[in-house]
Amino acid sequence: MPQQIKRLIVAFAFFILLFLVLRQVLKPSSFGDLGHYRADAIQENIDSELHYAGIDNCSKCHEDIHMDKAIGFHANLNCEVCHGPGMKHVLYAGNFTDRQLPDSLLLYKPVGRSDCAVCHQVNAARIKILFDTIDNSMIRQIDAMTHNPVNKRTNEKLNCIDCHNPHQP
Amino acid sequence: MEQHIQNLYEVLSQVEGFVYPNEIELNWSILIVLYPFITGLVAGAFILASLERIFKVRILKPTYGIALLTALSFMLVATMPLISHLGKPFRAYEIMITPHLSSAMAIFGFVYLWYLMVVLLLEIWFDYRRDMILWANESKGVKRFLYRALSLWTTDISPKAIALDNKIGYIVTVIGVPSAFLLHGYVGFIFGSIKANPWWSTVLMPIIFLFSAIVSGIALVMLIYIIVSKVRKVKLNMACLDMIAMYLFYILLIDFVLEGLDQIHRIYEAEESFEVLHKLVFGKLFFTLFIMQGLLGTIVPLITLGIFQFYKPKENIRKVIYLIVPVLILIGVFFMRWNVVIGGQLFSKSFYGYTSFKIGLIGPEGYLMAAFWLIVPLLILAFLLWLLPPWKKKDEQSEIQSA
Ligand code: HEC
Ligand code: HEC
Ligand code: HEC
Ligand code: HEC
Repeated sequence: MPQQIKRLIVAFAFFILLFLVLRQVLKPSSFGDLGHYRADAIQENIDSELHYAGIDNCSKCHEDIHMDKAIGFHANLNCEVCHGPGMKHVLYAGNFTDRQLPDSLLLYKPVGRSDCAVCHQVNAARIKILFDTIDNSMIRQIDAMTHNPVNKRTNEKLNCIDCHNPHQP
Repeated sequence: MEQHIQNLYEVLSQVEGFVYPNEIELNWSILIVLYPFITGLVAGAFILASLERIFKVRILKPTYGIALLTALSFMLVATMPLISHLGKPFRAYEIMITPHLSSAMAIFGFVYLWYLMVVLLLEIWFDYRRDMILWANESKGVKRFLYRALSLWTTDISPKAIALDNKIGYIVTVIGVPSAFLLHGYVGFIFGSIKANPWWSTVLMPIIFLFSAIVSGIALVMLIYIIVSKVRKVKLNMACLDMIAMYLFYILLIDFVLEGLDQIHRIYEAEESFEVLHKLVFGKLFFTLFIMQGLLGTIVPLITLGIFQFYKPKENIRKVIYLIVPVLILIGVFFMRWNVVIGGQLFSKSFYGYTSFKIGLIGPEGYLMAAFWLIVPLLILAFLLWLLPPWKKKDEQSEIQSA
């Protein structure tokens, strides 16, 4: 066999071997056990910490608010879309009945205008027609810049919750 | 008012009509424009080299080596814009290690490797093996070692061995042409196969990409040949340039007709997406499509090169024009990629609205990053031209004659 061909075959064999070795080394160990993915990923996801508890958990201790909310416009909203993830709160807040909660258990209170605007701000992407044709449950749109920004008599700045009860708007 | 609403206002002011939330911001930006552009240059440069080799267009000889080295230096960088676009670039290798047949991108990795290792490197190696051995004997130190290592420590330069080199090199080139078509056709396929996007989803996409790739590669080699000759202070081979210009003209013509065909097809079909695309083309894409790609990048070069086919002005004038036309064509093809990649993301898949594209100077997706990935291959090319100067190759024929 000519010299150059021999050398080339050696070089290519080397690269292919290198690739195969690297593949073996770099391939995640559990890859392919269950399918074309890393089987460990399932366990990792199971093991990952829970952050959200769900509305059923909240209503166990905050029955009153749950009842208020259930008859208002926000009935279908989950508590945690406004208050943020509350798993820790659910697990430990029970120990603090009638006491001040430690900071680590306090939940976010969406009292600002921008908090309500996340859902209610007018937005060309939420055109009315489109939603109306699907069903009538579109989220009412206001312009947070112009919708009652100040108290007309006292000229004080107003937050949305000064007029609307967040749990029963 | 508060920052949050301010931000929302700002974002929404860039949007017209109805867009889905995930369409407000363009995720594929200038780096994804560069990827098909650079890959196209590779395929085009290689095809110019193959013209000389397979079809024995001897007159193109002065550009053969330059074309091959250009293809190699851009090939080495072709995936870099993609990788630097990734959020986790260090995971990029995983696509090669656990590839899935249903992943167009994973298969691209192997098409790329095939083309790089089996076509480009092999062809260049067989072409330069003899010269590397000769150069190794003439040089000292590191350079000597480099040549030795690059020639894989082979020593055989008997006429029989060289004849074998030439034969295999020829076979590799013959395999290389369909491979080059595959490489760039595949890039077109990656866009053309996206069903949900009416601006991309056309079976003509791979073919259009391919022809514009050939055009851009030839233009690039033409430009580099002129610049390299200027730097080396040697006379330009006008016959060779005229020949390249002729090929450029005909392939550009085919490319133009194909793209026109695609548009006519789209206009005649007038599917439900037509209205949104129509507004896009005459609105946000007007400048890049009609002015940059159409007028500057296609019509002007076509007319100039077309006139040259019938009437050749004086050499000095041709020289200047041969410098300008490739630049125009490269700009045109760059904007063709731009119009495809950016244009395809500017309209909402609901067909009811548009978003807009903003790009910064700095940052991982900015102009500077893009410029960087365009300059790196040129530096690699400069190095390769220094290491493997095609003009210093000793022609066996002339040596035999002088001996
Ligand atoms: C184990 C009972 C328990 C559960 C379950 C529970 N909480 Fe509480 N929560 C408390 C206690 C106790 C307080 C502190 C006293 C109070 O304000 O009633 C509190 C206070 C709060 C506060 C006011 C904190 C502050 O900043 O002043 C919010 C908001 C709140 N809970 C939301 C939730 C949400 C949302 C959930 C569901 C994810 C939830 N809670 C589930 C017991 C509970
Ligand atoms: C639309 C957003 C929103 C939702 C949904 C919501 N909350 Fe609230 N919640 C608020 C706001 C705003 C405040 C602060 C009210 C204030 O400070 O006057 C608040 C305050 C509270 C408080 C503090 C006590 C109080 O009355 O001031 C508790 C407890 C609470 N929420 C529990 C809940 C629970 C339980 C749910 C689900 C059943 C829930 N919230 C759903 C917005 C919301
Ligand atoms: C997670 C999204 C979300 C947030 C945050 C939110 N809302 Fe709502 N809001 C809704 C939805 C959904 C409805 C129900 C729409 C319907 O059924 O008409 C609603 C209804 C309302 C209505 C009744 C509109 C009508 O039909 O007359 C008012 C008022 C209102 N919200 C005020 C507020 C205020 C004040 C805040 C801030 C504390 C707030 N919302 C935060 C989603 C939200
Ligand atoms: C001065 C008190 C006041 C304040 C502050 C206020 N609202 Fe209202 N809001 C009203 C009244 C009264 C209505 C019903 C009449 C109307 O549609 O204007 C209303 C109506 C609405 C509606 C229903 C609109 C519709 O189309 O039916 C929404 C949603 C709403 N408000 C959200 C908000 C949000 C979000 C904020 C804070 C950014 C806010 N409001 C602040 C008094 C207030």
